[in-house]
Parts: sequence; C-alpha cells; structure tokens
Amino acid sequence: MTAVMALEGVAFRYPGAAGEALSGVSLGVAAGEIVALAGDAGAGTSTLLLVATGLAPRLVGGTLTGTRRMPGRCGIVFSRPWTQLTGLCSTVGDEVAFGPASLGLAREPVLASAQRAMERLGITHLAMRDPAHLSGGELQRVVVASVLALEPDLLALDDPAAELDPAGADALYGLLPALAAGGTAVLVATPDLERAARVATRVVVLAGGHVVADGPAHLLEGTRVAAIARAAGCPPPYPPDVPSLLRRVGP
Amino acid sequence: MIGYLAGRSPLHRAHPYTTLALAAAVLLVAFALTRPLEVWLLVAVAAVLAASGGGEVLRSSVRAALLLSLPIWALLFVLYGLLGAEPRLALGVVSLSAPGMARALVLGGRITAIVLGFLTALGTTSPHRLVEAMTASGVPFGRTFLLASTLTVLPRMRDRARQILEAQQCRGLRIGGSPLARLGALGPLALPLILGALAEVDEQVLALDARGAGGGARRTALEAPPDSGPQRLVRWALLVAVIVAYGWKFWRMRG
Amino acid sequence: MTLRDLVLIRLGVAVNLVIGQIVAALLLPIYLDSVGTILIAALVGPRAAIAAGLVSQILGAVISGNFSWLPFAVVQVVIALYAWAAARLGLFRRLATAVPAGLGLGLVAASCSAPISYFVFGGVTAGGVTMVTTVLRALGAPLGVAVASASYATDLLDKAIACALVSAVLRSLPQTLAARFPALAR
Repeated sequence: MTAVMALEGVAFRYPGAAGEALSGVSLGVAAGEIVALAGDAGAGTSTLLLVATGLAPRLVGGTLTGTRRMPGRCGIVFSRPWTQLTGLCSTVGDEVAFGPASLGLAREPVLASAQRAMERLGITHLAMRDPAHLSGGELQRVVVASVLALEPDLLALDDPAAELDPAGADALYGLLPALAAGGTAVLVATPDLERAARVATRVVVLAGGHVVADGPAHLLEGTRVAAIARAAGCPPPYPPDVPSLLRRVGP
Repeated sequence: MIGYLAGRSPLHRAHPYTTLALAAAVLLVAFALTRPLEVWLLVAVAAVLAASGGGEVLRSSVRAALLLSLPIWALLFVLYGLLGAEPRLALGVVSLSAPGMARALVLGGRITAIVLGFLTALGTTSPHRLVEAMTASGVPFGRTFLLASTLTVLPRMRDRARQILEAQQCRGLRIGGSPLARLGALGPLALPLILGALAEVDEQVLALDARGAGGGARRTALEAPPDSGPQRLVRWALLVAVIVAYGWKFWRMRG
Repeated sequence: MTLRDLVLIRLGVAVNLVIGQIVAALLLPIYLDSVGTILIAALVGPRAAIAAGLVSQILGAVISGNFSWLPFAVVQVVIALYAWAAARLGLFRRLATAVPAGLGLGLVAASCSAPISYFVFGGVTAGGVTMVTTVLRALGAPLGVAVASASYATDLLDKAIACALVSAVLRSLPQTLAARFPALAR
C-alpha cells in the first residue's frame, strides 16, 4: 500500500515556543487504514494532525523541518461541533454543500457530492433542518459529512467524540471503518482508547512530541489502563471493553 | 425587532436587491425632503410598500415602527413643540411653537418613514435568499461572511454571556449596589466572554479553511434568486428618483 | 484580508452587539457598543477595526429595527482609527494610560456624532442621550449646546470605560494566545 500521507523525521515548533512540539516524527498512513494517535495532553497528537493535513505551519505559523508528503486533499474534524459551522448556512444540506460550492464547481456536481456525503453519514433525513437546532451528536455527523463532501484523501479527526454522549461517541467511531473502506485514509487522535481500539487498524503512541510506539492495535494493551485491568484480573480484551465486562458480571 | 416573515407577496418574490433598493431609496429621499407635507407623503408611500408585502408584514411593520417612533415623537414634541421658538400657538392650556411643530413633524415623519421602509425590507427578505443573491452576483466572500455568519454566532454568544452571569453569581458576584460596585462587576462578566471567544478563533479559522472558505474561487450559489429586466429597471429608476430629490432640495435651498 | 482577519472582525462585531446585554443587566448608563471595534484595532489593525465598526452599525440596525443610526457610520471609522493609534502608542498596556485615552476617544467621538445628531436628526435620536438633551434644553440651554453637552457627557464615560475594559482584556491574554497577535508585540 502506498502511503497517502508520509512524514519523515519531521520536527515542528510553534511561533514563540521554547521547545519543539514534534521532533523526529516519522509516520505514514495508507488509503483504507485507520490510524489512532494516542498520547497524553501535550504529547503532540493535535499538532501532528495539523502538520499531517498541511494546516501547520501554513495557518498557525511556526517552523517545520523534515520531509512531508501530503495527500491531494485533506479534511479535518475538531472536537467542538459548534466552532466548525460556517454560520452561513440555514440548512444542513447547504452546510454540507458549502465545501464543494466554495471550490466553484457547477451546481449539479456540488449537490451530488453533498448528497453522497450525507448518505455515507446517514443524515439525509436532516437535510432541511437548521444546524443550530441539532444535538451534539447529530451536529458532529453534519461536520464530518461537510468535510467528506470535499472527498479528501486523508481524514483527520481530533478527539471527535469529546463533546458527545456515549451513544453519540459509539456511533461516530462506528462510522470510521465504513469511511476507510471507501478508500479514505483516516487519522484519529483520541484519549478514548477503548473506542479507538475497536476500530483502529494501527496505533501510534506519542509522548513529548516523539513517536514511542507504532504498530497494530493490540499495542494499546500496553497502556496504563490496560496494565491496571490486567493486574486487576479483568478478562481480555485490553484495554477493557465495558460491554464485555458487563457480560461477565451478568444480570 | 421583526425578522423575516414568510409569504408570497410581490415583495417576497422580488430579488432581494430590489427590496433593499426600495428601503434605501426611502431612507435617502427622507433626508432630501424638508416640508411636513412632503415627508408625510413619503410615510404614506412607505406604508403602501409595507402593504404590498402582505397583511402580516404590514401589521408587524406598522406595530414595530410605532413602538420605535413613539418615544421619538414624544421627545420631539417636548424639545421642539413645547420648548421651541416663536411664534407660538395657543391650544387651550398649552402653547406650542409653530416652526417647532413643523420641524418636529418633519423629523418624526422622517424616522417613521425610514423605519417602516426597512422593517418592510427585513420582513420580506429571508437572510438565506440575500446571501444567495450576494454570492450569485459575485460579492466577495468576506462581506457575505461578515453579514451572515455574525447573526448566527450571536445567539450562542448571548447564551454564553448568560451562563457567565449565572456562574459568577454562584461564586458570589453581586450585580446590584452602588454605580461603582456595578461597574466593578463588569470585568468578571465581560472578560471571560471576550477571552473565551478569542480562544476559539484559531480552531474556527482552521475549520473554515479546511472547508475551502475564502479560497479564492468564486463560490457557486445553489439557489440564486431570479432577477429580471423590469426589476433592474426599477432599481435604476429609484436611483434616478433619489438624485432628482436631492437636486430639487438644493435648488430650493438656493432659490 | 485573511480568513483569520475575517473571523476576528466577526468576533469584534459580536462583542459590540452582545456587551450591551451585560451592561443592561448591570443597569449602567452606558452602551459600550465599541468595545469590539477598539479591541480589534489593537489586535489586528485599522482596516479590520473599521470593518468591525461598520458591520456592527449595519447589523445593530437590522436587529433593533432602528435604521436612523446608519448615518453615524462615519463615527465608527473615527473610533477605529483613534483606537488603532492609541494601541500603536502602547496606551492600552496600563490602566493609567488607557482611561485618559478613552476620555480622548470620547471627546473625538462626541465631536463627530453631535453634529450628525444635530444637523441630520435635529438632536433627536433614540435613547438616553436625547433625554439628557431634553432636560438641558428645558433648563434653558440652546438646542445646539444641549445636544453637544449630552453627547459629550455620555461619550466620555462610555469610551473611558470601553478603553479600560479593552486594556484589561489585553493584559489578561495568556502568553500563548498573545503570541498569535503580532500587532500586540509592536
């Protein structure tokens, strides 16, 4: 599989910052992969997403060293649904179509891309609704659809379920395999290791701006939570999966 | 005060630029007219405009215009009528200044006509349709963005202001007391609001950029309102009318 | 104008339009409807601040329905330029310099708005300023003097408090956030 996005020995420093946010990072993501980025706050996962999608240093300033190969088109989804709305659209359909429309494409292709994106996210029934009146979970799906309407080669998600309730979070992470199957490369930074472990094909662990581990999803078994669970005698999988724990406890 | 009221009147179906041109013409002509009779003729024209927007628009516009104008009429009455210059007319117990009342009628009529005109435009133009019209006619993204998306973020900011007020009150902030004490409460209420909004800016910029906003290509309008020859003619005619009105005003001032 | 400028201008406009809500809850006799303009002048620059002032004027009229405020748009331009100059001179760095700067702004703003109020509206716009005008007139002052005095009194207080508030905001910015505004470093 050729990598859609590849970083080689990349270091990044924010403007006016004392230290480097990322150093010596090498990472590749191929089409159809779901790569989970794990790490504590300040480990550099959000920064890595910005660098991978080309938003840093272009929009945030700072200096970048190393080799970077970026995909043709990138999309990024942040944790707060509200700050990602354009504010210009009164219906979900218009909001999703905003991306293709901004590229200046003709009307029919724009509407077709928007329709496809809404179908993939299962929100066609929300097309005529006002984004201002949607729940957090629905709104985040609208945001993902809006980003997908641009048909990106790489979809980056920064803790996308942070503001969602558990059902909404499950639904959002549950969408990722279908998206990857459609050929998109998915890169998701998240502290939610349980949900990440369910869908990720690969895990990259960051600490202090360095990559400390990069391998298959069962790497997450080495995390603190997994270690505690193992020590406590919980059954696999690690990190512990609440539904399976509940099944053990039984009614 | 009134927002868009859906309807099928000629004004609703007109291109948003036409409706706005009508309201702007009322505004500009109002300042060109200087006699009470002329100004109140314009008020009648504005009322006819409101009527052509349909019964609901007429009722709402007139009601809102009256609510906004009444305090001004009252102040005008006091400032010009009661406290105005000679010669005075005696009306029972009250003595009113004749030139003062004339001026009051002009000023009051002006504001009433302007407000009525714009409320009619507001009531018959849906913001969405205006944004589409602006996009279709090539208005730069920045302008449509500022006018349209600000209105969308306002309710959230107002909610946040309310939440901050409640949170600070829970922490013991008092909003009553002497003027100086109330002034002191301004900081704890306004600072978190402004700082919180500033902290969101970076993420908003990244999200907008990722959607191709302001990218330079001309955005496709998906539902451009239809324009027509007669409407364009009307807009030009309004411009001519405004020029004529000012020409007449200055000619009268000279002669 | 970059996308970042646009988002900041939008923030300035929103601040202009929402601070009035807080002021009303505190029952203070001021509007503080230029705080956003002054803030953007200090954070971004004069063009952005002018845009913020003008858009605030338009949207304020749309929201309140009172379109007679539109002729005061030129006052917004003056406020934006003054605030930018004050920021360049570093007057917002301390409260002791921000308040006099605000008084100066009040003088300048009132000098622009009083003639507009007098000549275009005969001294009668909506709001508390006209009340003050009426009271002064009833006490015997000529109309011109009444309009001017009312404008100056309210504007001096309003702009001094606005500048003090902006100074507090700029001094409270966390280091990482402040670094994102190159205009502050100058």
